Amino acid sequence: MKFWAVRFGSIGLAVLVSFGIGMIAQGSSGTVSRLLALAGLYVTLAVSLNLINGITGQFSIGHAAFYQVGSYTAAFLASILLSRGVISNLGTPIPWVLVAVATSLVTAGIAGLFIGLPSLRLRGDYLAIVTLGFGEILRIVIQNTPQLGGSYGINSPKAFVVPYVWMLTFLCVGVCRNLLQTAHGLSFLSVREDEVASSAMGVNVTRVKVAAFVIGSAFAGAAGALLTFNEGFINVNSFTMDVSFIILTMVVLGGTGSVTGSIVAALTLFILPEVLRDAPAMPLNAVLGTLAGIALLVGTIRLAMDHKGLGRSIWMPKTYIGIGIAVAGGIVVSVLANCLPALANRTIPSAELRMVIFSAVLVIMMLLRPQGIFGVRELGLKSFFRRANA
Amino acid sequence: MPDPILSLQNATIQFGGLVAVDNVTFDINPGELFGLIGPNGAGKTTCFNLVTGVYKPTSGNILFKGKVINGIPPHKVAKLGIARTFQNIRLFGALSVLDNVVIGGFLRNQTNIFASMAYLPGAIRETERLRDQAMALLEVMDLADEANGRASDLPYGKQRRLEIARAMATQPDLLLLDEPAAGMNPQESEDLMNTVRKLRDDFGKTVLLIEHDMKFVMNLCERIVVLDHGEEIARGVPVEIRSHPEVIKAYLGEAC
Amino acid sequence: MTAGLDASALPQQLLNGLMFGAIYALVALGYTMVYGVLKLINFAHGEVFMVGTYTALFVSWQMGYFQGAPGMTRATSPAVLLLMLVASMIVCGLLGVAIERFAYRPMRKQARIASLITAIGVSMLLQYGGALVLPVSPPRSILEQVNPYDGNLSIPLKPRNASLAASVDKAQAEEKLAALALEQRIKQEGVSSEFDLSEEGKKIRAASQAAAQVSRDAESRYNESGMSLNVPYGQGIMFLATLGLMGLLTYLVMFTKTGRQMRAVAHDFDSASLMGINVDRIVTFTFLIGSSLAGAGAMMCATFLGTQLTSFVGVTWGVKAFVAAVLGGIGNIPGAVLGGLLIGVAETLVVWAGGSQYKDAIAFVILIFVLLVKPGGLLGSAKVEKV
Repeated sequence: MKFWAVRFGSIGLAVLVSFGIGMIAQGSSGTVSRLLALAGLYVTLAVSLNLINGITGQFSIGHAAFYQVGSYTAAFLASILLSRGVISNLGTPIPWVLVAVATSLVTAGIAGLFIGLPSLRLRGDYLAIVTLGFGEILRIVIQNTPQLGGSYGINSPKAFVVPYVWMLTFLCVGVCRNLLQTAHGLSFLSVREDEVASSAMGVNVTRVKVAAFVIGSAFAGAAGALLTFNEGFINVNSFTMDVSFIILTMVVLGGTGSVTGSIVAALTLFILPEVLRDAPAMPLNAVLGTLAGIALLVGTIRLAMDHKGLGRSIWMPKTYIGIGIAVAGGIVVSVLANCLPALANRTIPSAELRMVIFSAVLVIMMLLRPQGIFGVRELGLKSFFRRANA
Repeated sequence: MPDPILSLQNATIQFGGLVAVDNVTFDINPGELFGLIGPNGAGKTTCFNLVTGVYKPTSGNILFKGKVINGIPPHKVAKLGIARTFQNIRLFGALSVLDNVVIGGFLRNQTNIFASMAYLPGAIRETERLRDQAMALLEVMDLADEANGRASDLPYGKQRRLEIARAMATQPDLLLLDEPAAGMNPQESEDLMNTVRKLRDDFGKTVLLIEHDMKFVMNLCERIVVLDHGEEIARGVPVEIRSHPEVIKAYLGEAC
Repeated sequence: MTAGLDASALPQQLLNGLMFGAIYALVALGYTMVYGVLKLINFAHGEVFMVGTYTALFVSWQMGYFQGAPGMTRATSPAVLLLMLVASMIVCGLLGVAIERFAYRPMRKQARIASLITAIGVSMLLQYGGALVLPVSPPRSILEQVNPYDGNLSIPLKPRNASLAASVDKAQAEEKLAALALEQRIKQEGVSSEFDLSEEGKKIRAASQAAAQVSRDAESRYNESGMSLNVPYGQGIMFLATLGLMGLLTYLVMFTKTGRQMRAVAHDFDSASLMGINVDRIVTFTFLIGSSLAGAGAMMCATFLGTQLTSFVGVTWGVKAFVAAVLGGIGNIPGAVLGGLLIGVAETLVVWAGGSQYKDAIAFVILIFVLLVKPGGLLGSAKVEKV
């Protein structure tokens, strides 16, 4: 009895929180509402890729493809409904949104099945390039399909989906957490660790890999459907290789295999560029100087960390000298940049700057904390994420 | 004479021009401690790979409990009741010792994946059951204290024992041990010998093992087959093998 | 186009494909060499290529191509081209070494995926950072000024039909006669232009035009009866240079001590270091060579193909070159060349067959089919795990 009480209690809580986020979104500006939706979608994407990549160890770097399959399925469905007069241009009613989400879940799952099948023959980097290639082929085919809007894109009536985005997020996290608590999840992990030994222990490696791909891509597809209704307009540029790379980065930065790590990394990496979007324009030479200074600083810390491995403290005289060089280097680069006629007196709008900062932060984080923010550990809420007696 | 649990009938496998296992025939009776020895490269591990379905024999048959199992994939062979350990230890290094053994028991898992995804009571009970079973096996293998440590952090000898515990978790009838005593000191090897005997006596397992440690094989095994260059060169009880001229030649021949 | 595929253009298209493919191959070599020694997909390689294109452009600009500098003649341009090539190779080589030293080497002891993410980070940093400081290059029309080698080398494949030659001569003679007649008529009528001719005169004019048409038709029939390949001089030189560089690389890898060490490191990194090979030196060397080959490819791309350059130009080229490397079997040097040429040819064939919008997809389609049949790529061998 207590079991079911806890179970329904937590499901109820998740729904409540989702609607709570929805209410915040409704009460705030369109931008904030959009960000709240996208944040949930990115968490879903990262956690679902973590199932394929981190937990099952199948090196997929084309997750945006499944996101795209789901998104376009929903958009196509909406265009049919629109032409039949079932829904109007004013907006898509929630029941139809849910139908579209379910459809996208299935189509993306099927796409996952097709990509999962080659994974039976391909290992590691070969699989990676096939998943990447699948995304590229899909993008080009859609660009040349007028029914899907071609390269311009496709409109769909909007809907207010923020609560449903977060319900999907909670569902995805819940499913991954559940799996990892049971012997089934262990069989996924065993495939990551050693395929030969897994199959010798009776684990059907084929089925586990395909299951991971199907579940992971189905969630990405559902997320794609919600993106369609949240944005009201999608085109292929929302699903480029960069998007796949960012999702992959979230997984690795969160610590491969760690569900909570994926969540935190997804939120961090998602919020960072969005905050930067509103930053003021910066003088170019200052930007270059700062980048150079940071690069030197990271190099110093990295060197100091290597020495720490030799049993010394990070804070040795060399470190302070290094920091001094870093600051000086930054200033020198900044002054030099101002002397070059092509670069002097230019300011950079923050929109162009944000991806630079994003990638710089990415490299710095990897250099300073290569095992991910949390390593393979799960974060907090011991009873929730840790196996009871492990 | 009971029906043999495992029979190799003229089992042969070729890799390109190399005949790794050539026309090997032997029967193992239920409850037997059976040894497979021979110099390096004699084809012993390849025999294991044939039995467990990693390779398919080029010709000949492999029968388990009277049924032909040629070319059945490894995970199905495991389900039929053959479990193995690996010469070059293959544990799930990043997982806990306990989880390694739970995975061994997973093939008798009764629930489907949807129950696990929804964390239904059935899936929880099943996982609990596998965990209890794994814990019991760790007790048998003297690893219970280590249950929550990382498998890759265990010392070498214990890793070998863990491999056996993991194989035992699949509830096999036939246990294939690939050099279980390799890298162990005399004391560990002695303990292992007693454990293997216990697996047969208390758990009724049939054991087929490959080992280079002659003392280990001669003291433990009841019957032995000797391979060299993929072919059988001798068979019999340990006393016969010890004095068999072909065996002595195979092991020492190169040096003479 | 209702006439279907123009088969007579096929040899020319194949040739163009090979020339494109040669650049893919040069870039693919860098991927494959780095993968060979470090088992790392060097995602930043495409950006090294990008820097190479800009270096070439910068040098040509400094040498005055765009300003009509005095003394800048066609005669001096081979030297300038060589300078562009060398500059690109040096800058790219150094950039590759720097990336390895500062971004990859600290990650070497970490999980492979961590290095991969670092590679992606470096790649994005160069793309977006480059967008801050690099201009979008002039489109093709100006780039053509960089290419001093105008014109084509025409290689006849099939001689023209000699019997048609006679009819061309005849038609041309008749054309001349008719033109002469028209000229006389104009003089005779004393008008200033042929449009002011009388009715009778206009008939003569029409006859002259008809004769000219017949002559033109005969001539084109005669020309089409034969077949020839046109190799733009610039691209031809580029192709030869590519072959030269590949030959140099083969010598380096197969017949020098460093090459032998490189192969040893590729075979087994740890054992190689135990055998006293300075692996750091070899890795640096590999990045130097691989990246400078990308620089060579970049210079040729910028100079002879007239691609418009942005700081994102390395994405497409890089990914396709990487596909080429995987297609041939990653880590395998002849495989990278084969893969690059194959993809170049396949892309031009797709365009020739009228599917230019699918040009960018064909590489991946081929890759997927090849990998399904041969999981290790064309020349690579899939590693069978020893149990």
